[in-house]
Amino acid sequence: MIWRFGLFDSTFEPLLPTHWALLVALGLPLLLGMLAALFPPKRAWPVLLASVPVLVSGLMLLSAYDQAGLLRWQWEIAGIQLSLRLNGLSVLMLLMTQVIGVAAALYTPGYLRLSETGPLARWLWPLMGVVLSALSLIWLATDLLTLYAALELMGLAAVGMLMLSGKAPALVAGMRYLLLALVGSLTYLLGVALILGHWGRLDLPGLTEVVEPGPVAWFAAALIGAGLALKAALFPLHAWLTPVHESAWTPVSALHAALVIKASLFILLQLWSILLPDAFYAPRVIAWLGMLAIVWGGLLAWRTDSLKTLVASSTVAQLGYLMVAFPLLLGPDIAPLPRALAWEGFWLQLMGHAFAKAAMFMAAGNLILATGESTLKGLAGTSRRLPLSLLVFGIASITLMGLPPSSGFTAKWLLLQAMVISQQWWAVAALLIGTLLTAAYIFRLFRYCFDETAPRHRYQPLAPGMELIALTLALTALALGLLAHFPLELMHGGSP
Amino acid sequence: MNAAWLPLTALATSLLVVVIIFALPEDARRLRTTINLTAAVVKIVLVMLMVQRVAAGHEDIFSFQVVGGVDFVLRSDALGVMFAGLSSLLWLCTTIYAIGYLEGSANRKRFFGFFSLCVASTIGIALADNLFTFLIFYEMLTLSTYPLVVHKGTQQALDAGRVYLRYTLSAGVVLLLGTVLLYSLTGDQSFSSEEGLGDYLNDHRGLLTLIFALLVGGLAVKTAMVPLHGWLPRAMVAPAPVSALLHAVAVVKAGAFGILRVVYDLFGIELSVELGVITTLAVAASITIIYGSLRAIAQEELKPRLAFSTVSQVSYVILGIGLFGPFGTVGALAHLLHQGLMKVTLFFCAGNYAEELGIHRIDEMDGAGKRMPLTSIAFTIGAFGMIGLPPVAGFITKWYLGVGAIQAEMYWVVAVLVASSTLNAMYFLPIVHRLWFRVGPAHGNGSWPKEQRLGRFETHSWLLLPMVFTALVSLGAGLFAGLPFSPLDWAARVANGEYLP
Amino acid sequence: MIAFFEAVAAFHVVEVLLALGLVVSALVCLFDRHLVRACYFFVVFAAAMTVAWWQLGAPWLATAELVLGLGLTGPCFFYALGHVLPGASSSLERDTFSEPRSRVAIRVLLALAWFVMVGAAIRTVIADMAYSPLEHPLLLAGVVIAASALGAFALHRHLLRRLLAFNLLGSGVFMLLAGVAGTSATAQALISVGLLVAWLGSMLGALLIRQLLHLEGVEALGRDGKPEEDVT
Repeated sequence: MIWRFGLFDSTFEPLLPTHWALLVALGLPLLLGMLAALFPPKRAWPVLLASVPVLVSGLMLLSAYDQAGLLRWQWEIAGIQLSLRLNGLSVLMLLMTQVIGVAAALYTPGYLRLSETGPLARWLWPLMGVVLSALSLIWLATDLLTLYAALELMGLAAVGMLMLSGKAPALVAGMRYLLLALVGSLTYLLGVALILGHWGRLDLPGLTEVVEPGPVAWFAAALIGAGLALKAALFPLHAWLTPVHESAWTPVSALHAALVIKASLFILLQLWSILLPDAFYAPRVIAWLGMLAIVWGGLLAWRTDSLKTLVASSTVAQLGYLMVAFPLLLGPDIAPLPRALAWEGFWLQLMGHAFAKAAMFMAAGNLILATGESTLKGLAGTSRRLPLSLLVFGIASITLMGLPPSSGFTAKWLLLQAMVISQQWWAVAALLIGTLLTAAYIFRLFRYCFDETAPRHRYQPLAPGMELIALTLALTALALGLLAHFPLELMHGGSP
Repeated sequence: MNAAWLPLTALATSLLVVVIIFALPEDARRLRTTINLTAAVVKIVLVMLMVQRVAAGHEDIFSFQVVGGVDFVLRSDALGVMFAGLSSLLWLCTTIYAIGYLEGSANRKRFFGFFSLCVASTIGIALADNLFTFLIFYEMLTLSTYPLVVHKGTQQALDAGRVYLRYTLSAGVVLLLGTVLLYSLTGDQSFSSEEGLGDYLNDHRGLLTLIFALLVGGLAVKTAMVPLHGWLPRAMVAPAPVSALLHAVAVVKAGAFGILRVVYDLFGIELSVELGVITTLAVAASITIIYGSLRAIAQEELKPRLAFSTVSQVSYVILGIGLFGPFGTVGALAHLLHQGLMKVTLFFCAGNYAEELGIHRIDEMDGAGKRMPLTSIAFTIGAFGMIGLPPVAGFITKWYLGVGAIQAEMYWVVAVLVASSTLNAMYFLPIVHRLWFRVGPAHGNGSWPKEQRLGRFETHSWLLLPMVFTALVSLGAGLFAGLPFSPLDWAARVANGEYLP
Repeated sequence: MIAFFEAVAAFHVVEVLLALGLVVSALVCLFDRHLVRACYFFVVFAAAMTVAWWQLGAPWLATAELVLGLGLTGPCFFYALGHVLPGASSSLERDTFSEPRSRVAIRVLLALAWFVMVGAAIRTVIADMAYSPLEHPLLLAGVVIAASALGAFALHRHLLRRLLAFNLLGSGVFMLLAGVAGTSATAQALISVGLLVAWLGSMLGALLIRQLLHLEGVEALGRDGKPEEDVT
């Protein structure tokens, strides 16, 4: 597990252009966000122009990793060690963040123009920049201090973004999210304190060498796990998630559901793989909760009448798929083959869900914006008037349902294979039931849309790029299914 | 020499059409029609090319790796090409028919987009060389058919769509489970591999039986085998071309084709016999045949009667497998093609009656032969074929199945065949009788439910031509069964490949 | 008994007084019904924390606490109350503690789980380091503050109170951190980041409370998570 996260020494020093690429990848989103606060872009093309260097930096890091393998950076400031690493996984996550971030940023000008957003709109840009920079840092950081700082930065900015719509329900939900996230981070901090107190160091590669299983590791893992599970909305700590998305702006929801939640999960898995390398019960508890999450999230989404709640609740269920894979990733007595399969399936599911959920939020946002209705019933007859938005929604939901040829399917295939080989039949059942439940709530929505007997209402035309951006994301999620070999190949590299 | 482009292009043609149709605006009717028809013709040419290459002994393979140990493989082999030929030929017919049928109605872009996607999936199913690839297209077929079933957007159509999804998606999950179990046991298993799964028999007998049950159980839903047939009659609310496609080619045949693949190419016939699952399959098929026919007699409307007839007829294919002899196999494979041709003709006829005269119920059909002679002749040919009267194609199938049953010494199957033919006659001959020998509105007695004068001939010529064509082909497939490249000849070639190593 | 007195004798008097001051101000801040007074006591608490950090030999942290805790976080609460100038009246002076029982039970359960984890963790580390709690009254104060703050956080529904409770919880946790990990550079950096986060969080929270007050009136603050009832 440890080598999969790239927590070992590298053979090569990063080259000078790589340093620059790193700086750009980490700093530029923040800088651009600040700039956009001063001069809010009215059209998509300046955003596109500005995001080119960001994407280029990601690609440069990709090629640097491709050539040299694992790369490490280390600094010591006033006795505090900070370190970063770049391995296949972090490159992949970084690229995902940049693509989804750029897509959300491109979507934003059109969205802000069409919906009455009020004076707070310009604050969206810097917050978005902070979130993207912090996310990039999280994928790269390998010491607990940097991780903590980045996590908090991201969390606070995310809260800020979610509440920009300024409506009272958004504020109430956002306040609750803020308080829970803050308490979650204190829990996390206490876990870190235990680690620091007991082993006297915070750098992950160093910790992998000194940590031995025992009560301290368990309690630290429990504290860190509880804190991060709260932030990642893992079942049963998910109650804050749906109200927060209910009245948030579309690009914000897309970013939050696609990336912000995943970051906490990423840290959780990474730290647990250090603290609990062969624990039996902890990953199983997570897996059981995951099964409940799949069912409960599915039921929530099935019963709701609000489009956004449906999309947000499905996140709870989809996170369940990831939780169910925990025993395969962390548990003892898992043969190398199922572990490798589960590892690939986990990240493929995570990426597929990120792209699909971002696309789905955008499609849902488009539908709501165009019809002016936010309930499922209000969508009656949209299949005739807004076919493209609905198509995007459909393509994204193929990934969520895990039907071929989407990335959701390939990921589910990998996870199922790993579970069958290691004979975890409950998990198999959970995954299969999840497919049916997802189909149930997705097609419930389509049932309304295909209704031809509904009265016609007036539709607001959308900005030209808004549907295309969502379509691109949805197609990316779909294409990752059959082309999964390429991203997964990237994660193979770097084994010692 | 491997022409990897050939299977890929055959698939890509339909997929490209999907993209283009969705990109075109709703009003671009003429352009859409042109593209649709061009693509259909191009695909027939491509499939013919493949047929030629397969006949010459070349099997073209296109493949790439999806994840470790799982490949996406398209391969043109005799069985696959047979199904691909059927679906591309009937696609052309159905597209022409659908263009005429949907003239002036709404949502045509969506209809033709998903229609093409549906056919692309069928081609993918035909050419898939392993279970993974098969599963991909099989599920794509499920999804792309849903918008077609609910196309009318009425309450009834939406309910039918829901039932359809309940059946097919659950079946998809079962199939997925079976597939994953199989891959965990054996790794990637090509349909073309000679070994079969015989090596695993000793250690994993129970697991193999379970996998077989899951796979066939999942596929049997689309094949509409009793008791998993509930979705099929309800899906009748769809427009006529969709019913034709669903019932004649795409969906039910995809299921039957999948069972053929699983039995012949994945498990191998010897292993299936060894596991003792074949006889179960034959019994289930027989039950379905009799039950479907009985239910068909009870229907008073034309389309549901045809639907239950499909339930019954498709299981002949399964019955043919159950006879585990060369004749049974030839009968099964030939029936896959023959039934497709005959049933599509019947559905075209039903659509024509409904469009031109507003006829939905059987008791409204009195004397329609005088008003719509071509349609009624086509219907008569199709009905005779279904009963198994010579010289229509259906006769060939039943003959081969009967011979196969006697060879395998399964005399009860002969009884089933006789009983089923009698039942077929009982529900088709009254209709034929009404058409030609009853006095109806055409003779000045009463009036049609909703008569429209759609074209110069007895109805719109776009509706008439494909129907006449398929009727002629079903007749020809019976008359010229001995010629090379006839359905029977090709079926015999496939069966040779299965039984003679 | 004698051992106990010896232990007491070994106390640093200043530390004991400081610990007592911290605990008392924290309790008042958490449970006083008069909100403005609670906020004043938060300022007192922050001041005591500054001295405590100084006492623990962490001058940088003391500075950070002075600037962030006393200088920046404190005013956030007064801003939230609309009580910027001393003597101005506020519509938010008091609140009531009334909740449905089921909710209380769930919250208490969650808080207990958290507390058990923390307690067990402390216990392990202390046993591990051959550490005697009585020798470090500040650490003990940290435990008490964290516990009572968590209880208050679970109990209260008033948003401002929860924000206050979070801040005290943070201080308790920082104290614990310093207790188990010492005041090395890394620990100080962690705590400073934590203080920064607490300030940013409080500021965001204060802005929110203001906005909510503006939109919905006083009532809105008391019913934290109104949408929750609709969802579950």
